[in-house]
Amino acid sequence: MMLQKSILQLLLLSILSGLVFASADANIKVGSKKFTESVILGEIISQHLSSHGIAAVHQDQLGGTRLLWKALLGGDIDIYPDYSGTIIHEILQAEDIDNHAELKSALEKTGVLMANPLGFNNTYALGVSQATAQKYQLRKISDLKNLPDLRFGFTNEFMDREDGWPSLRNYYQLPQKTVRGLDHDLAYKGLEAESIDLIDLYSTDAEIAYYQLHILDDDLKHFPEYSAVILYRAELEDRNPQIKSLLAQLSGSISNTEMVRMNSAVKLDGNSEALVAHNFLKQKFNVSSLVENSTLLSRLLKTGSEHLLLVILSLSAAILVAIPLGIWGARSPAAGQIILSTVGIIQTIPSLALLVFMIPLLGIGGPPALVALFLYSLLPIVRNTLSGLSDIPLDIRESALALGLPPAARLKLVEIPLATRSILAGIKTSAVINVGTATLGALIGAGGFGQPILTGIRLDDTGLILEGAIPAAVLALLVQWGFDLLERLILSPGLQISQESHS
Amino acid sequence: MIQLDQISKSFGGQEVIHDLSLEIPEEKTVVLIGPSGCGKSTLLRLMIGILWPDKGRISLLRKELTSQNIESLRQQVGFVLQDGGLFPHLTAAQNICLMAKYLQRDPAWIQSRLAELCALSRLSLDLLERYPRQLSGGQVQRVALMRALMLDPQVLFLDEPLGALDPLHRVSLQDDMKSIFSELKKTVIMVTHDMGEAASLADLIVIMREGRIVQYDNMATLVTQPADPFVVEFINAQRKPWQHLEDQIR
Repeated sequence: MMLQKSILQLLLLSILSGLVFASADANIKVGSKKFTESVILGEIISQHLSSHGIAAVHQDQLGGTRLLWKALLGGDIDIYPDYSGTIIHEILQAEDIDNHAELKSALEKTGVLMANPLGFNNTYALGVSQATAQKYQLRKISDLKNLPDLRFGFTNEFMDREDGWPSLRNYYQLPQKTVRGLDHDLAYKGLEAESIDLIDLYSTDAEIAYYQLHILDDDLKHFPEYSAVILYRAELEDRNPQIKSLLAQLSGSISNTEMVRMNSAVKLDGNSEALVAHNFLKQKFNVSSLVENSTLLSRLLKTGSEHLLLVILSLSAAILVAIPLGIWGARSPAAGQIILSTVGIIQTIPSLALLVFMIPLLGIGGPPALVALFLYSLLPIVRNTLSGLSDIPLDIRESALALGLPPAARLKLVEIPLATRSILAGIKTSAVINVGTATLGALIGAGGFGQPILTGIRLDDTGLILEGAIPAAVLALLVQWGFDLLERLILSPGLQISQESHS
Repeated sequence: MIQLDQISKSFGGQEVIHDLSLEIPEEKTVVLIGPSGCGKSTLLRLMIGILWPDKGRISLLRKELTSQNIESLRQQVGFVLQDGGLFPHLTAAQNICLMAKYLQRDPAWIQSRLAELCALSRLSLDLLERYPRQLSGGQVQRVALMRALMLDPQVLFLDEPLGALDPLHRVSLQDDMKSIFSELKKTVIMVTHDMGEAASLADLIVIMREGRIVQYDNMATLVTQPADPFVVEFINAQRKPWQHLEDQIR
């Protein structure tokens, strides 16, 4: 009874919060990629719009280029900053684009408009430490041809971009074999620790000065221009005619020096992107946008409630689906095999991949994360329900049959109570895994404890990483204890007595 | 009361009951006995539709068993297994009353029936508040018997009900069962491999071997007019531990 009641409550809660996820749509949504410069630009755009009375929210650090582009086309976001070279070589690589005008018209065909460039050029570059540069007399990219043993560490995006490593290697005929893909912010660490010798970087990175890196001259001119531009959905001009002129105000307003300075202010001096963007807008346009100064508690409440919502909703949906599947599987061994292999296969899909698969179907944010977490929660519950029911001893099952109980009554009065311990253990396993996996939801804009972890990795801020990691670990422990307590409350005392007390 | 008509049953291609017919009269205690693997437990399960025959027909309480009427027929019989088959998540009393409560019998009737059964099986009501894992083997079997008797069934099926008990409990429960059966005038079908138990409880004995009935008679006839050398062999094999002393004294 108690279990049924709480399941009912969970169901109700999930419907309510489904509405919450679905709403909040009237605002203009500004997206940004998961690196500092993009987040600063996203902040500048959203604060600039806000300070002119347009309701705008910034969905920061959503992921990489493809994700942002799909989100823009799908209407999950309305505006985001990108770079001309990226758009030409990554997004519209199928078309042959030579200049700014061609780029603009190619974009317009997809329903996307491009404001004039912001002013700075953040092209790709290759960097080595001063020590490496001196040791090998490295000046330019061509010099790398004679150094096949150098270890390269590139961002995963650079590794397979059309204008990235594959074309660079062909263009310069580079012989290096040791090339690893890794996160951009970790790449600097790897360079410092001397576990890699050369990395790709952006020419406005704050770290270039900080780590005193030597930039190799692109002597054969391989890398194209990467002018920062703002992309937005064409229909936005209909929704708000002011938009076009407001975005035009930002054109040409940020120089290379200005961008490096802002990147440093965030990455090296530890200011928030919001504050840096605010200062920039104040100095340029003398407008004061409101910057919320969040406290640790308010941040924890926000990420914590997002995280809990993800876990509770996905887990309760999984319970409602997985227990009946387990019962079905226990009744019919053939169905059981199919059910177990299906949920087993789902479990083997890497979580990041599953999250990304969901985006074309469900967009970004809460819904795709919920579906992915729901799918991951199925296996332990299905398996434990099935085995809990199948493991009921033959004499007990025969007794229940011989009493003349119909199948539904046998399930309710005998089989489910006897399988309760196993089913609860399955739910507990799912819940703990779910709490951990939900941190990845931040990658697709679902928030949660993954948000500070993601930002912390990007900014190399251990405190921020812990701000996400510690509550997530504590939550996992609480979930574990909660289920242990629940087991003691709802499991029949007759099953909690060990067989040894048999006199 | 129970009629089996040319029954055959196989498991995985191996036939364990061969073309077997048997009629069990009302209010008699009939014991199915034979060596391990003779099919006696299978036969018992066929009679209440826990297993279904490949060939032949079975009727219980003058009705042919079908998947439609099986649950209502089972509610009119009792079944006790070797290890009791009690539900470990329910107390002894809940085990006994489960079916009565499911059928929404009057709570006052349930209580008085419970008290009646306690007296009959010589267990205290307090003891029935314990869970099966807190009971001794003998107590478990008494509770299982009470559960089987709760709805006052016309027929009782017992599968080696004393098999797992130590000798002292065994004798005491055997005596109690004997008096309960004669008092209640039930039709009882019991499986055992113990000839002494059969001799003490049975009105009629079915001796089985390899899925067939060798002889179906009362104890006296089995001893005086054995139908087959196997009957003599089987009866004589059940020696008392002190048999050799008696032989010496003679």
